[in-house]
Amino acid sequence: MEERFDPFAVEILKDKLAAAADEMGVVLARTSMSPIVYEVLDFACGLTDAQARVVAQTNGLTLFTGTFGPQVESLISDYGLDGMREGDVFATNVPYRGGTHTCDVCLVKPIFVDGGVIAFAVSITHWIEIGGAVPGSIPPDATEIFQEGLQLPGVRVYDAGHRSEAIVDLIAANIRLPRTGLGDLNAGVAAVAIGERRVLEARERYGLELVLASFERVLEHGEQTARAALRRIPNGVYRAEDVIDGDGVSDTHLPIAVTVTLGDDWIHADFTGCAPQAAGPVNCATGALLSACKTVVRAITAPDARSNDGFFAPFSLTIPPGTVFSAEPPAPTGWYYEGAAFANDLLWKALAPACPERLGAGSYTSLCCSYVVGRDAETDELFVLAEPNVGGWGGSALGDGESALIATTDGDTYNFPAEVVEARFPVLVERYELNVGAGGGAGRHRGGFGVVREYRLRGGVDAYGYGSIGGSERRPWAVGGGDKGTTNYLEYVRGASVERHGRVARVPLADGELVRSITGTGGGFGDPREREPERIREDVLDGYVSLAHAREVYGVALDPRTLELDLAGTAALRGG
Amino acid sequence: MTLRLATDIGGTFTDLVAFDEETGALTIGKASTTPADLPQGVLDAVTAAGVSLGEVAELVHGTTVVINALTERRGARTALVTTEGFRDVLEIGRGNRPDMYNLVSRKPPPFVPRRHRFEVRGRVDRHGAVLRPLELDDLEPAVEACRRDGVEAVAVCLLHSYAHPEHEQAVREALVAALPGVPVTTSSDLTREWREYERSSTAVLNAYVQPTVERYLGALEDRLAAGGLRAPVRIVQSNGGTTSVGAARRTPIRLVESGPAAGVLGAARLGEELGEANVLYLDIGGTTAKCSLIENGEPKTTTEYRIEWRPDYAGYPIMVPVVDIVEIGAGGGSIAWLDDGGSVRVGPRSAAAEPGPACYGRGGESPTVTDAKLAASVLDPEYFLGGRLRLHPRLAEEALRRLGAPLGLAPTELANGIIRLVNANMISALKLVSVRRGYDPRDFVLVAAGGGGPMHAAALGAELQVKRVVIPPHSGVFSAWGMGLSEARVDAAQTRVLVTSGSSPEELDAVFARLEREVTDALVAEGAAGSLRCERSADMRYRGQEHAVRVPLRPGPVSVAAIEADFHALHRQKYTFDLEGDPVEIVTCHVSGFGGRALLPAPPTRSRTGRPTPKGRRRVDFDADGVHEAAVHDRDALPAGFRAPGPLVIEDETTTALVHPGQSLEVDAAGNLIVCLQ
Repeated sequence: MEERFDPFAVEILKDKLAAAADEMGVVLARTSMSPIVYEVLDFACGLTDAQARVVAQTNGLTLFTGTFGPQVESLISDYGLDGMREGDVFATNVPYRGGTHTCDVCLVKPIFVDGGVIAFAVSITHWIEIGGAVPGSIPPDATEIFQEGLQLPGVRVYDAGHRSEAIVDLIAANIRLPRTGLGDLNAGVAAVAIGERRVLEARERYGLELVLASFERVLEHGEQTARAALRRIPNGVYRAEDVIDGDGVSDTHLPIAVTVTLGDDWIHADFTGCAPQAAGPVNCATGALLSACKTVVRAITAPDARSNDGFFAPFSLTIPPGTVFSAEPPAPTGWYYEGAAFANDLLWKALAPACPERLGAGSYTSLCCSYVVGRDAETDELFVLAEPNVGGWGGSALGDGESALIATTDGDTYNFPAEVVEARFPVLVERYELNVGAGGGAGRHRGGFGVVREYRLRGGVDAYGYGSIGGSERRPWAVGGGDKGTTNYLEYVRGASVERHGRVARVPLADGELVRSITGTGGGFGDPREREPERIREDVLDGYVSLAHAREVYGVALDPRTLELDLAGTAALRGG
Repeated sequence: MTLRLATDIGGTFTDLVAFDEETGALTIGKASTTPADLPQGVLDAVTAAGVSLGEVAELVHGTTVVINALTERRGARTALVTTEGFRDVLEIGRGNRPDMYNLVSRKPPPFVPRRHRFEVRGRVDRHGAVLRPLELDDLEPAVEACRRDGVEAVAVCLLHSYAHPEHEQAVREALVAALPGVPVTTSSDLTREWREYERSSTAVLNAYVQPTVERYLGALEDRLAAGGLRAPVRIVQSNGGTTSVGAARRTPIRLVESGPAAGVLGAARLGEELGEANVLYLDIGGTTAKCSLIENGEPKTTTEYRIEWRPDYAGYPIMVPVVDIVEIGAGGGSIAWLDDGGSVRVGPRSAAAEPGPACYGRGGESPTVTDAKLAASVLDPEYFLGGRLRLHPRLAEEALRRLGAPLGLAPTELANGIIRLVNANMISALKLVSVRRGYDPRDFVLVAAGGGGPMHAAALGAELQVKRVVIPPHSGVFSAWGMGLSEARVDAAQTRVLVTSGSSPEELDAVFARLEREVTDALVAEGAAGSLRCERSADMRYRGQEHAVRVPLRPGPVSVAAIEADFHALHRQKYTFDLEGDPVEIVTCHVSGFGGRALLPAPPTRSRTGRPTPKGRRRVDFDADGVHEAAVHDRDALPAGFRAPGPLVIEDETTTALVHPGQSLEVDAAGNLIVCLQ
């Protein structure tokens, strides 16, 4: 930073940018008409400078950590800064242009001072419906992006302050829930308007030079923080391999691998050697891959700091084109968060030995998103119930893994209260409990538990379920002698039959039939026989661990009647 | 019998304010808080104030006993009864990760372990219709386990009980019969809003603190009665109103923010006295600053309150009305530090009372806001707390030098920066309660209390461009002062989704009338005297939205058109747009009932004569406004009507107030310092 600026004024401005991003998020969540936004908080907001570098971002979805920059860049390259006008708002959702999947609609508003662009306000929102082959727009067996709904390749939704009715009509005509979609458009536009207002107020109060200096300082601060943290991590080359179990079209396992090099104050990830882009929609494009990696970079450097692009200056990436993590048109990417989740988990697995205080054993990984769609008999309207599920996290050096926590690729996002689900959709939630029966994840620090969640269709017509859940065969990895975690899957209970699926495109549901989402236990950390017997007794009292499991896996004997510790029996089981 | 007593138990001191309702005279007593035996501190404060309990007409009490029992985990061994299939709702929570980049993040552990969470069959739907009857026999294993394990309190939260409380009531009756002496809380008794995790958490926390509060309030009543008190004791709730001891025992979770709520209420009443209906309130203590907003004379309440919430930690929801307060880690003890990225940061870590700021000379080595204030000569080292604590400027300077040297900043430069940074943090908090919610600070006066409020208020007020800044007398006991002016309050709410276009005014009126009956019956039952009044409001939204805007209803008969118009306007104010023409829904109807106001005693008039001479002059760093020589006045020597231009320093035993250059001071008849910003 140059000397002529008052350093404290710059610091104060830096915090104001973060507050502006938060405020954008509040406006978006509070005005949205879509449960996936207002209840689950599947969105992000922020500000970039004129060079598309993120200077402030809300909490929300981790997978939006890295997409703003590439998305704004693509607009700059299309229109040029000179081609933008005050009052413009652009919409983009194309995965190959820095985006994620077509459902995530990104709105970008250039902020002008004296006729020139000084910054961009950005909001990105998961629209529950954007057209395509199925309600909800992400068919698990899609083979082209054209089955995944309407593409908005950086179109001007607001032209110099005027809403482009032609574009809005086009959008409304191509999506199944236009009222909800346009509600999200309104909410997103309100959010970027607030962002613009706060930046202009800051400029009014502090002057343009100081505002621009604060952008630089934010980025410099992020970079300095990340590099300082990297210096504390041992240098080395770390490698991990895994598989993605199925792409929605076939059940074939797709091999994935990464080699990470940690230098003094830099980090490089090389994803050479991953499977080519898949036929089905678990692919992600490089924008989403970058986001998935950035989440891990943040986790090992400065997990508690506010997000900005400065943190990622020490990070670089190698990925050949056309792989499952660098999909090219017209590859489907509807379930991109499956691919991105596995990329994230892979990098995490590689780095876990280097950062034991920051990274534990593997988690349930997949967002375990299940859809139920159909018509509500009471209102005769289409309904789209889409729900990510929480699951088990791995044990770590710090303690047991957490139970029922949302996957890494989401973030500060919430589950659906059963009471709200039942008020909005024609289902009864019959069960929402910890999946303690799955076993697995044993360790000195055991993996946390997933959940069992049941919907029974009640008053739905022409309904069917679908979903694309990873980890239905591959189990979360363990650390240091722990036990692997358990699988995630869907069960459809129809009449007397129970169908079990990982990725499934369409299961018709009659009224009264039931969908069960099951998420797995996280991986264990350390030898289960080193877990304190008293803690195993507590686990048994709470029903987390069965008596048999205590005996066989943990080597702890309890009196089956009183559940008191049998110290002699335990010593015998543990071999002295 | 003309005394109205208010006592506020804080972490360090127990404050007491006695209002003489005939003369308007105000007496203050302060005693050390006695954690092992809290009622003793109250009696000590009574003695310190020289008040006779026999002359007291009413005693209002604010207490931290609930929040302390929760944060120190010193509550009862608690069990939970839930609907079949939902045993783990309390542990699953909302599943979110506020610290989203922390891959070893911790969830708030449940207050009830899994072994004490029990299920009962019986199911209700969203409309409150019974789909499957309640099976009370299912409670047998629960009762047995509670007896075996010595469970001391039970919470009951069944699905959709906001629409159908009968099943919860039946479970309660069965448990009360089976477990004599064990208090049972039902969620629908505390809130009629939906979201099962939040309601379960509320019920569990109520049960968890209930035995502790029972014991405490019982002891307090006994000790006060033994000391000669014959008047009723009333307890301040988190909504800023009071309730009877009996009601407080049943629903103690409503007391969770008892003390802070009273401060906000005090600010509202002070505003009323000054003819200002719109007030921003700021209370700065040693470790935190609290802000709140009062519009049209009423504090805002929220039911989205969480204890132990932090930006990076989910905390525990409590779904009862709590005065909407934003609290940040910024106070006199907040420590300045250098982060990894080379930025100076202030707080949230605090040096607290031990070791305290470096200048206390008790071994603190990190510079704090108080050290910066001393280096800026805002504080007089010889007159801190009226001279009871001598400050060491050299230690403050050394601490500042250690932190500033690597940045090339002299101690005075760093001190100036620290003060501006902490001011900026407080500005952000004040904007959270105002600008962020669609209010313009220019329509508000800023009331500043607490030991630190008066030092920062003039700078904050100028930045926010408020109308003026008000520093009340006795700002060190402001919460107790507010308590003395509180009135009985009961809130009731009903979640019930209605489309406005399809509902008749009669239908709405019926819902509100029922809530009003509920509220007034409760007020009468707990002995509220005087004229009762009710205020109606509705949570409203556009169809499809989830979050709602709280719309106060205009007095008089219900008009759907008027409610809709007010909703559109509020939506525009908060979120920049409205959707006039779109269908509008009412989600929850609210009624707040008030049991009659305590009249504000006219304070004894201050002398209007005399020209006070400054007790000294010193060069003070007025942060963003530079260094100026300022006259220093003793607050007690300033007569009513006194006016003077800034820069000024006004000192009393508890705090130091600043008037910046370009601003001016006026002392009103009640002894308030009014800082005019232009």
